[in-house]
Amino acid sequence: MGHVITVEAHVGRGLPALVVTGLPGAGVQDARERVRPAVESSGLQWPLRRVVVNLSPAGLRKDGPGFDLPVALGVLAASAQIPATKLSRYAFSGELSLKGELVPTAGILTVAMAASTAGLDGVVVPQANAAEAGLVDGLAVIAAPDLASAVGFLRGTWTPEPGALPPFQRGAEPRRDVDFSEVRGQGVARRALEIAATGGHNVLMVGPPGAGKTMVARRLPTILPAMTRQEALEVTRLHSVAGILSGGGLVETRPFRSPHHSISSAGMLGGGSGFLRPGEVSLAHNGVLFLDELTEFRRDALEGLRQPLEDGRVVVVRSSGAVDFPARFALIAASNPCPCGYRGDQRRSCRCLPNRVLAYRQRLSGPMLDRVDIQLSVPRLTRAELLGSESGESSVRIRERVELARELQRQRLAGTPWACNAQMPGAFARKLAPLTDRAESLLSQAVENLGLSGRGFDRAIKVARTIADLAGHERVSAEHIGEALGYRTPARAEEMAQVG
Amino acid sequence: MDMASSQETGRRLRRPSDLAREHRGTRRSRVAGAIDLTWPLEFARSQEDRQALLVILSLPSLTPRRLLELAAERRTATSCLRAINAGIAGSPYDRRHASSVDPGSVAASLEGLGGRLVAVHDSDYPLGLLDLVDPPAGLFVRGHALQELEPRAAIVGARNCSPSGEEIAGTLAEALAKAGACVVSGGARGIDAAAHKAALRAGGPSVAVLGSGIDVPYPRENASLLKDVAASGCLVSEYPPGTKAEPFRFPARNRIIAGLSRAVVVVEGAGGSGSMITADQALDLGRDVFAVPGAVSNPLATVPLALIRDGAALIRGPRDLLDDLGLKIGAISNEGGPGLPALGDPALEAVLSVLTVPAPPDALAASAGLPLPEVVSALVQLELMGLVREVGGRFERRATPALASRHKR
Repeated sequence: MGHVITVEAHVGRGLPALVVTGLPGAGVQDARERVRPAVESSGLQWPLRRVVVNLSPAGLRKDGPGFDLPVALGVLAASAQIPATKLSRYAFSGELSLKGELVPTAGILTVAMAASTAGLDGVVVPQANAAEAGLVDGLAVIAAPDLASAVGFLRGTWTPEPGALPPFQRGAEPRRDVDFSEVRGQGVARRALEIAATGGHNVLMVGPPGAGKTMVARRLPTILPAMTRQEALEVTRLHSVAGILSGGGLVETRPFRSPHHSISSAGMLGGGSGFLRPGEVSLAHNGVLFLDELTEFRRDALEGLRQPLEDGRVVVVRSSGAVDFPARFALIAASNPCPCGYRGDQRRSCRCLPNRVLAYRQRLSGPMLDRVDIQLSVPRLTRAELLGSESGESSVRIRERVELARELQRQRLAGTPWACNAQMPGAFARKLAPLTDRAESLLSQAVENLGLSGRGFDRAIKVARTIADLAGHERVSAEHIGEALGYRTPARAEEMAQVG
Repeated sequence: MDMASSQETGRRLRRPSDLAREHRGTRRSRVAGAIDLTWPLEFARSQEDRQALLVILSLPSLTPRRLLELAAERRTATSCLRAINAGIAGSPYDRRHASSVDPGSVAASLEGLGGRLVAVHDSDYPLGLLDLVDPPAGLFVRGHALQELEPRAAIVGARNCSPSGEEIAGTLAEALAKAGACVVSGGARGIDAAAHKAALRAGGPSVAVLGSGIDVPYPRENASLLKDVAASGCLVSEYPPGTKAEPFRFPARNRIIAGLSRAVVVVEGAGGSGSMITADQALDLGRDVFAVPGAVSNPLATVPLALIRDGAALIRGPRDLLDDLGLKIGAISNEGGPGLPALGDPALEAVLSVLTVPAPPDALAASAGLPLPEVVSALVQLELMGLVREVGGRFERRATPALASRHKR
C-alpha cells in the first residue's frame, strides 16, 4: 500500500487544454478543471497552450484529489515559473480549492510513509494534515496553507513555521468518554466482555431492545490493552486513507465501529468503484466492530466477515486492482431473541409464531458464528433489579487484569503464530489447556446432556483457558469449564428447539 | 377413581364475584329465555336424515344455534334441509351451497380416513355438549368412541407459552393420565401440545378438539402428535373433513372443549386470548375451572389470575388438581417429582436456595454472597442436573427435575 508516483508535465503547441494520462481515475480527471483556477488565483500564470500531464508508472490506477498539488506544480515547473531543483526530493499531496488553498486531504499518512520508504527528504502537504504526516520518523514535513506557499517553498522565498508537532507518548492514557463503572447490573455481560478482551474472543449478545447490549459493547475498547505505537500507526494509516481522521495526529484510542445493518458488502469489507476504500472491518482494525441487529445485516456482508475473522486481513479485488487491508478486530454482535424482540422477557410477551422464531434463530447460526466463542443472553432488567444492582468496576481496574492475563498468553504462545487464546486452533487449545479430572468429567457430561457440538467443545476449552488466565491458574479446573459453558446461550435455544 | 360430584367441587365458583360476572352479561344471559330448546329425538335417526345432516353440517353460514331453532320447528334433518332449499330458512348462500354438496362423497371421504359422524342422540354423542346453548348437531370423530374416554378434563393455555408453562401443563396432564382421566385440549401449539404429549407419554388417552376438519392437521408441525392422539383417544371436530383452519372457528372449538370436559385447567394465557373464552364457556356450563397462577407482572399469567380473582380454584400442582377432582394415584406432590436431591456441593446448594424467582446470575451472586464466576459455573452444573433452566438471560427452577425424561421424547 503506497507507491511514489512521478508527475511529468509538458507544455507544447496546440489549443489550450490540460490532458492527464497514466490511468487517472475519476478523482484525478476532476483535477483538470480545478487546477487552472487555483493557479490563476495564486497570482501565477496558466500557460495558454496544450499541457500534457503524465502520471507514472502508467500501469497503476490512481485516484483521489491529492493529485491537485503535484499536477499544479508540474505545470508551473514545465512553464518555468518555479525551479525544478527540489521537486524530485519531496513528495507532494493535497487537494486545491479554486482560491488556491490546500484543503484537508485523505491518505496523507500513506503518502508520507511511501515517501519515507523511497528515501525522499520530505513531504509538502496541507497544513491540516501536517500532524498526520509527522508520524513518520525522519521526514521533513512542509505544512503549506496554500499553493502560493508551496511555490514559495520551492522558490526559496517562504519557509514554514517550525512544526509544533506533538510528540507521540507511549502509554499515555487515551481520552475516554465512557467507562464500565457507569453500567448498572448486567454483571454477566460485563464479565463476558472482560473475558473477551482478555482472550481476544468474539461475542454475541442476544436480548430484547433496551437491555443495554449497545451500552456494554461501546465500553469494550476501554478495557482492551493500550495500543502499541505500531498498532496505532496501522489504525491511523487506515483512517487516513478513508479520510476519517479528525484533528490529525495519531489515533490513540482503539476504534469502535458500529455500521448500520443496511451496509453493503463493499462498505463492510472495502472497495467501491474506482478508488478502493477500506471497509468497516479495516476501520475497526485493532479495535471493536459492533454489529447491532445482526440478523438484519445483508447476507453477503456477513459472509464476507469470515476471511477477516480467520486471517485478520481482507483482500479486496476489483477490476481496477486488488488491495490487501489489515482487519484484525474484536467482533461484538447483538441480536434480538426473536422477530418481535421480546421472547423470554419478563414484562412483555412475545407475539411471534414458533416457526418464525426458529427461522430467526437459524439466521443466528452459520459458519460466521463458529468464530464467536462467547454467546450470551442479556435480559432487560426490571426497575427493581436495576435499583438493587451495584454499578461496576472502573474500566482502568478491569484493564489491569486484562493486561496481566494477556501477558500470560503472550508467554505461553511465544513461538506460535497466535497472540491470544481465541486465535488458537481447537486441537492446539486442548493441548495447551490441561484439564483437571473434574473439569474433564464436567465437559463430557455437557457433551452428553447438553448436546455440546465438537465446535462448541473447542470454544468452551478456549474460553475456559482465558478464564483460568484471568484467575492466574495454569491448569483449567471444573469451575473454569463450568463458567465457560455458561456463555453458550443461543446454542441452548437450539437444543430446546430440537427437543420441544 | 371417580370424579367427585360437580356440586361439591363447583362450590368454589359460586362467589359474589360471580354475580358481577352475570351483570357484565355472559353468553348465557344474552340468550336467556331460549335455553329450553332441545334437539328433537327424531332429528337424525333415519338414514335419510343422516345424509341430510351431512349436507347441513357442510353449510358455511348456518350456525348451530340457528339450526337448533330450525330443528325445534321442523323436527327432522331432512325437513330442515328442505326448508333451506326452499328459501324458508338459512341464507341464499347456504341454499346455493347445499345444492353443491354431495352427501355420498362426504360420507366416502369420512370413511376413507377412518372417521365417522356422531349425530345428536347417537349413543356416543357426549351428553355434556347438550349443556351448551348451541350444541353441535353432529361431530366428526376419528379414533375411539368418546364414551370410552371418561372422565375427561381439559388443559388449555397460551400457544406462545413459556418453557415453565409447558412443563406444568405436562405435569398436570401426566397426573391426570395416571389417575385414569382423559386429557382434552385443542391440539394447538404450546400448552395444548404439551398437555397432549405428556398424557400420551404417561400412557393415557387424549382428545384433541380441532378448529379444522379431522383430516387437516393444524398447526402442521403437530401432524404426528395428532396422529398419536387419534390412536390413543380421538380427534373431534364439528366441521366436515377438508375444512381449513380459520381464526373464527377457534372460539367455537373452545366451547366444545368446555362441553366435553368435567373441568378446565388454564395454565397460561395473555390478555384477550382463547383460554379466557374456554374458561368463560366452562363457567357458563357449570364446569369446574382451575387456574395455575403466575407472578402478577408476568403477562402470561393474566388469564389465570383473572380467573382466580373471579373464583376459579388455584392449582399449585398435580396434587391440588387431583384432590379437587376427587382422583387419586397414591402419593403425589405438587412438584410432580421426587424432592430435591442432596447436591453435596455447598455452592450449588447456596445458589439453588436463593433462586426463588427468575433472576440473572449477577443478582443470584449478590444474594448468595458468592463471586459471579462461581455462580455461573454452579448454574451450569445445576442445569446439567436438570434442576434449573435459562430463559432470556434469567435462570429459574424447573418444576420437574426432568433430565431422564428428556431422552424419552
